[in-house]
Amino acid sequence: MVATFKRSWRIYGGMAAVVPKLFMAYSIWVWMELFVSIIAVVIFVAFWRAVYASTTTLGGLTLDQTLNYILLAQIFSDAANVSSVIYDFGAGLREGQIIHALLRPLDYQIALYVQNVVQLVINMILRIPLALFIWIVYGLTLPADPVIWGAFACSLLLGHAVLFCFDWILGCTAFYSTEIWGMSVVRYAVAMFFSGALIPLDMMPDWLRVIATILPFSQVVYLPVSLLSGITPVSDMPRIWLIQIGFLIVLFFLSRFIFRRAVRVITVQGG
Amino acid sequence: MTALPRYGSLYWLFVKNRIKILLEYRVNFLIGATSTIFMQAAGLLAVWVVMNQIPNLDGWSLPEILLIFGLITLAKSINHMFADNLWTLGRDYVRTGTFDRFLVRPVNPLFHLLADRFCHDGIGNFLVGLALVLVAAPQLGIVWDVPAIAYLALMVISGGFIFIALNLITSVSGFWLMDSVPVTRVIFEMHEFAKYPLTIYPRAIGALLTLLIPYGFASFYPASYLLGRNVAPALAWGAPLVAVFLLSIAMGVWRFGLKHYSSTGT
Amino acid sequence: MPIIEANRLTKVYKIPEKEPGVAGAIKALFRPRFTSKPAVSDVSFVVEPGEIVGYIGVNGAGKSTTIKMLTGVLVPTSGEVRVIGRDPHRDRVANARDVGVVFGQRSQLWWDLALIESLMMVGRIYEVPEARFKQLIDEFSETLDLKDLLKIPIRNMSLGQKMRAELAATLIHEPKVVYLDEPTIGLDLLVKERIREFIKQVNREKETTVILTTHDLGDIEELCKRVLIIDNGGLIYDGPLATIKDRFGKYREITFETAAEVNGLEVPESADLLEKSERRLVLRFDRTKTSASRVAAAIMSQLEVCDLSLKEPDLSHIVKQIYHGGLKESTLPPVDAIMTPVLSPAGSGR
Repeated sequence: MVATFKRSWRIYGGMAAVVPKLFMAYSIWVWMELFVSIIAVVIFVAFWRAVYASTTTLGGLTLDQTLNYILLAQIFSDAANVSSVIYDFGAGLREGQIIHALLRPLDYQIALYVQNVVQLVINMILRIPLALFIWIVYGLTLPADPVIWGAFACSLLLGHAVLFCFDWILGCTAFYSTEIWGMSVVRYAVAMFFSGALIPLDMMPDWLRVIATILPFSQVVYLPVSLLSGITPVSDMPRIWLIQIGFLIVLFFLSRFIFRRAVRVITVQGG
Repeated sequence: MTALPRYGSLYWLFVKNRIKILLEYRVNFLIGATSTIFMQAAGLLAVWVVMNQIPNLDGWSLPEILLIFGLITLAKSINHMFADNLWTLGRDYVRTGTFDRFLVRPVNPLFHLLADRFCHDGIGNFLVGLALVLVAAPQLGIVWDVPAIAYLALMVISGGFIFIALNLITSVSGFWLMDSVPVTRVIFEMHEFAKYPLTIYPRAIGALLTLLIPYGFASFYPASYLLGRNVAPALAWGAPLVAVFLLSIAMGVWRFGLKHYSSTGT
Repeated sequence: MPIIEANRLTKVYKIPEKEPGVAGAIKALFRPRFTSKPAVSDVSFVVEPGEIVGYIGVNGAGKSTTIKMLTGVLVPTSGEVRVIGRDPHRDRVANARDVGVVFGQRSQLWWDLALIESLMMVGRIYEVPEARFKQLIDEFSETLDLKDLLKIPIRNMSLGQKMRAELAATLIHEPKVVYLDEPTIGLDLLVKERIREFIKQVNREKETTVILTTHDLGDIEELCKRVLIIDNGGLIYDGPLATIKDRFGKYREITFETAAEVNGLEVPESADLLEKSERRLVLRFDRTKTSASRVAAAIMSQLEVCDLSLKEPDLSHIVKQIYHGGLKESTLPPVDAIMTPVLSPAGSGR
C-alpha cells in the first residue's frame, strides 16, 4: 500500500516538476503581466469609487465591501481564466498524442490534474507582488479567523477541481469539432464575466445570477473570494461546500464517461 | 508623389494576399474576426449591469460612457488592423534574417513590414467600436450634423495614429531585443485607462494619459467636447497635432533602429 | 566598366563583453565594454558585367558579411563598394531594382500562396510590366519546368522545386546582378544540374552578372571561371579557377595509422610529409604525378600499417593548401590572378 503510494507520488510528482521549469523561463513576461495587472487594479478601484459616488450601497454591498471583494478577486481570478487544459489536452487528443499518454502507467486525467494544481499554486505565488501592491496602496480587510482561511482554501481547491472537469469535457469536444481556439475564446469571455471577477454575483440581476450559479466559473472565484472578503458569512460554508462537492461528483463522472467515449472513437478509428 | 498611388495599390495587393492566405484556414478567419467581440462583451456587460443600477458614474451617464468606450475602441482597431505586424519585428524578421529581404526590395521596409500582415481581427474591434458609438449617439442629445461627424472621424483617425505611433516607437526595440512584446504591451495597456472618463482617476494618471502616453486625446477629450463639457480647445482639437508629433518621433526612432541594424547586421 | 567595385572593404563588429553572473550583467549595463571582431578586412576586387564569380570560404570566413555589404544590407566600417556605379546602401531602392538575391533557404515567396500568385506579388513589387511578366513566366515555365508548379503553394513543394521557384522569383525583374547564396544545397544531382544549366543560360542570354557563394565545388567547376577565396576576413585568392585546380586540386591526402612509432621515414616521390606523430602519418601526394597505391605501397614497405584513409580535397583543404602552397611556392602567379599576401601560419596578422 505504502509502496504503491510512493510510486504514484514519484511518477505524478515527476510530471508536475516540469511545470515550474517551463514557467521560470519567462521572467520578463511575468513582470509584464504584473504591470498589466496593476493597471487593471487601478482602473477597477477608480471605477468602483466613481460608481459609489452616486449611491451608498449596490447589490447590498458598500464601497468598502465591494473594493475588498474586487481586489481579492483580482488576486485570485487567475484560477478561472488560466486554463491550458483545453489546449494541451484538446490538441493532444486530436493529434493522437493521447495514444502515448494512455500507454503510460498512470491515469492521464489525474496526471494532468496534478499538473494543473501545481500550475495553480505557482500562479498564486506569482501573484504575491500584485497582492503586496494592493495591500500597500489600497489596503485589504482580511479575516482574522483561521477557519475562514481554511474554508477559503478548500473552496478554492474544490472550485478548481470542478472547473478542471468542466474544461476536460470541453477538451473532449475539441476532438469532434476540431476548432479549439474559437471555443476557448468564448469560454474565456464567459468565464471572465460569470466567475464574478468583474462584479460580485450580488450585484447581478436575477437572471444573470442564475446563469452564474449554474456555470462552474463562479465556483472558483466568487464562492471562495466572497468567503474570504466577508461577503458570505462563515456559517454558509457547509452549504457551499456541499454544492461544490455535488458539482464535482457530477462533472467528474461525466468527464470520465465522455473521455472514455472519445478514446474509444480514436482507437476504433485509428487516430 | 507618384509613390502614393503605387504604395496604395501595392498595399491593397498585400491585403488581398493576406485574405487569400487566411481563407485557406477558413474557420480561423471567422473566429479571429469575432474573438475580439467576445472579449469586449464581457467587460461591457459588467459595465451595463452596474450602470443600470446607479444614476451615473461620477457624473457620466451610460451612453456617455459608451461613447468614450466606442471612441477608444475605434482608434485601437485602426492600429490593430494596419500595424499589428510591428510586434513581430524582432522575433519573426530580425532574428530569422527575413528583414534582409525587405532591404533588398525596392519598397520602403517599414511599409513592407506593415503591409505584410493586415490583421482582420481588428475588423471585429472596429465593428464593436462603431456599434457602441451608434448605440450611444441618439441618446446623447448631440446634433449629429456634418461638422460633428467630421470632427468624430478626425478624432478617431488621429487616435488611430496615436496608437500606431506608440506601437512603432516601442516595437523598434525589436531590433535589439528578440522579443519586444513586453515593451509594447506595457505602453499599449495604458489605453485601458482611456476607456473611462479620465476624471475618475487620480490626477497623476490623467496627466500621464494627456502628456506622456496621450491616449486621452483619442477618447476622453473628443467625447467631452462633443458632449459640451468644459474642455480646453487645445485638448479638444489636439489629437491630430499629437498624432503628427508622435509619428515624427516614431519615424525618427525607426530610422535609428534601421541604422543600428545596418551597422551591426544582427 | 566594372559592374561591381569593392575597395578596401572592412567590417569590424563590436561585440559587447559581458562577464558571467549577475554582477557581470550589472557592470555591462553601466560600463559597457566591447571587443572588436574583424569579420572582413581590406577586401578589394572588381567584377565585370557578365562574369560568374565564385565566392568561397569556410564558415565564418566573412562570406556572408561581404555579400551583405555588396547588397547594401550592411554598412562597411571602412572602404567602399559600388554596384552599377551606386552605393548600394545609400541608393538602396535604385540598387534593389537592378539586383536579385537568393538568401540560401530563406525563400522570398509566400508560404501559403500558389507560386503564380507569389510571382505576381513580386512582379508588382518590382513593377514588372504585365506583358513582360507574362513573357517571363512562359520562359521560366520552359527553362525551369514550372508549368505544373504554378498552382502549388510553396509549403507543398520539395526542396528542388522550391529552389526553382525561388530562382524564378529572383529573376522575374531581370536584374543586372544576382547574388546566389548556396543555391544548390541539399539538392540531388539531377536538380543541381538543371539549376546550373539555368544559371548558365541566364548569364549567356541576358549577360547577368552572378556572384555565387557555395560550398559545393561542383557548382564552382560548372559555373565559375573566376574564384574569390576569403579566409579569416581577408581575400587570399582572386583568380581563375583553372589555376586553383592546377595548383591545388591535384593533391590528395593519405593518412596512415602505424603499428609502431615512426622512425626514419623515406618519403616517396611526388609526395610531401604533412604531419608526423607517434603512430600517425599524413602525406600529401600529387595525383597527376603518382597514385594512392604507389604511395601506400612505398610506405607499407617501410612500416607496418594498421589502417589508412584517403581524403579527397574539400574546401577547407584547398584553403589550407593555399596557405602551405603560398609559403612554399615562390613561383609568381599568372598575370591575371591576384595573390594577396598569405597570412602567417600562426594566424591573422591583419
